[in-house]
Amino acid sequence: MQDRVREQDDREKASNAYVMSLVALMTGLPLPIVNLLATFMFFMANRKSSYFVRWHCTQALLSQGFVFILNTISFQWTLRIIFGDLKFSDEYFGYLCVVILVNISEIIGTLISAVKVRKGKESNWWLFAPLTNVLVRKDN
Amino acid sequence: MNQARVDSYLIANAKYFESHQVAYLRDKLTSMEDEKLDLLIAVQLREPSFCIMISLAGGSMGMDRFYLGQTGLGVAKLLTAGGCGIWTIVDWFTAQSNAKKANMENLQRIIG
Repeated sequence: MQDRVREQDDREKASNAYVMSLVALMTGLPLPIVNLLATFMFFMANRKSSYFVRWHCTQALLSQGFVFILNTISFQWTLRIIFGDLKFSDEYFGYLCVVILVNISEIIGTLISAVKVRKGKESNWWLFAPLTNVLVRKDN
Repeated sequence: MNQARVDSYLIANAKYFESHQVAYLRDKLTSMEDEKLDLLIAVQLREPSFCIMISLAGGSMGMDRFYLGQTGLGVAKLLTAGGCGIWTIVDWFTAQSNAKKANMENLQRIIG
């Protein structure tokens, strides 16, 4: 009975990891670091929680880290075009399309994960889930 | 403490603690001496849903942390303007859990 009760708390916390990263993303635009820092802080606040919560916080953090790298490059590239010595190019627009697609996929994936995890279902992301399995230690 | 008192305390105050802590509290309170009852009742418990509201309204000034009695963190949050907004956002989602943890810590001092 106690495990079931704990499970409900854990589901809510794990789902909040995804919801919070989305809110931080919306609030922090166009700076790419805000949602990464927020997700990291949430991860640190829950580092002593159960395996389920830690696993999903880690997956959210890893996905945010990946998107952060892509967004930072596009942000810097854009600033250099506007204020610096670079010009608009096909490569720039191509990269921008990729970044926009990745961000949209990430937002959709995060929303889906938030809903699934809240219901207690698994939500494993391609690339990030295996890495998360390696990084997160199971409860004793 | 007798079971009836423990049950009435938990019925009135279960919302102030994490769900999985209630069973632990029941065991601890049952084995607690009756003399500590006054101390137990005197413990000020923080309302988790009110903490969320304070976090939404005044989180960037650290008001939620001050409400929980975490003065150091409250001052840090105030001076950093809610960690430049990032800490504020994180606390919107952890406010309820923080309130319940703070309540548990306050109660732990009484029940041991």
